[in-house]
Amino acid sequence: MLEEILGALYVHILLTYISLFLSIIIGIPLAVISLKNRYLASVIIGFCNLIQAIPSFAVVAIVVPLFGIGFKPAILAIFIRILMPIVKNTYDGLTNIDNLLLDSSKGIGLSEWQILRYIRFPNSYPSIFAGIKFAAILSNSVAILTAIIGSGGLGSIIFEGLASFNINKILYGSIPTILIALFMDISFSIIEYKFFTYPDIVNKNQPSQKLLDKIF
Amino acid sequence: MINLTDIIAFIKFQDLIQRTTEQIFMFSIAILLSIFIGLIIGIFLYKAQKLSNIVFNILNIIETLPTIALLVLLIPFLGLGMKPTIFVSVLYAILPIARNCYVGLNNVEKNYIEIAHCLGLNEFESLTRIEIPLALPTIISGIRISIVFTMGVVTLGGLIAAGGLGASIQTGIQLYDKTLIYVSAVWVGILALIFDALAYLIERFLQKRFGHA
Repeated sequence: MLEEILGALYVHILLTYISLFLSIIIGIPLAVISLKNRYLASVIIGFCNLIQAIPSFAVVAIVVPLFGIGFKPAILAIFIRILMPIVKNTYDGLTNIDNLLLDSSKGIGLSEWQILRYIRFPNSYPSIFAGIKFAAILSNSVAILTAIIGSGGLGSIIFEGLASFNINKILYGSIPTILIALFMDISFSIIEYKFFTYPDIVNKNQPSQKLLDKIF
Repeated sequence: MINLTDIIAFIKFQDLIQRTTEQIFMFSIAILLSIFIGLIIGIFLYKAQKLSNIVFNILNIIETLPTIALLVLLIPFLGLGMKPTIFVSVLYAILPIARNCYVGLNNVEKNYIEIAHCLGLNEFESLTRIEIPLALPTIISGIRISIVFTMGVVTLGGLIAAGGLGASIQTGIQLYDKTLIYVSAVWVGILALIFDALAYLIERFLQKRFGHA
């Protein structure tokens, strides 16, 4: 039983992180491109809003007749589902920059690329990370669902337990997923705090910040 | 060539109308309950600001848990069917409504409240006539987020025998019935978009009516 759980856990983590990684490396460039082109931006953001309203189960189901069942279609389904929060949050972060800041950086002669690299990105880290955290949690929860389309992972243990009404199996499947969700939330908070925060921007009065300061 | 009688026969054969009514039934009960509870929590926390941190942290943790894990973990307590589905939907949908209600009420300009007091309104009247109407645009955007969440959870309810369109999707996947998958998945998507659009229209109306000039 333990081997089965560990194997499922491995597949589940693969599913979650591969699709998360793909959506980050494709989502962020998409947001940057839509920053440059106003027309493209309205198309991409409109599409994002549309997709975001559609239930995950419908997205997972639609993938089946188009791409079949198994591990790869499951990754595609998760990827489609979680791409949108990343693109949208990155775009929101990149556009919500103080105009004064942009003007003064143009004034000191920074190129477009430098503005993007040194002004827009650092100022939108909180928003981008909020998007990534949301996407990570969503990808964990969709990864359970994709067991229905044969991706394997912890979801398959849950659904086996559900079919045979075996409460133990249900617990073995669902408790690790809850732990993964909490782990992802905490780990991305720590990564953001350690590598993507500037001490003078951080709001020191926020309780979670106080906790992080205590730990590190 | 697909003709109309085929489509009608298909819809009848797969009980799609009944599935849709089940879906909308669960959805509306869940969203009404979560609006009711969410508003109460939001207003309560507005009055008792010290508790807000604890309560929002708890709700945030609930929000991170995978939906299906929560649905199946509640089986020993609530069994299968509509009850646990509605319970879990409400659990997920409370946070956006409560948070937006709390934020919206806190963002009401203090001048208005002072004026209300000067006019002799008591605390309850000032809340219902001044503060809540001014917070309405923020509250409704929270409700809009909740509508999306609820639609997603209710669809997943099909997996634990709650019926609804999730059940049709599951049948479609298990029998590999392409038409059924397409029809039910697209129909769920359209339903979700319709509700989202309705909420958007209400949001825009309230923004015009009560938003800052």
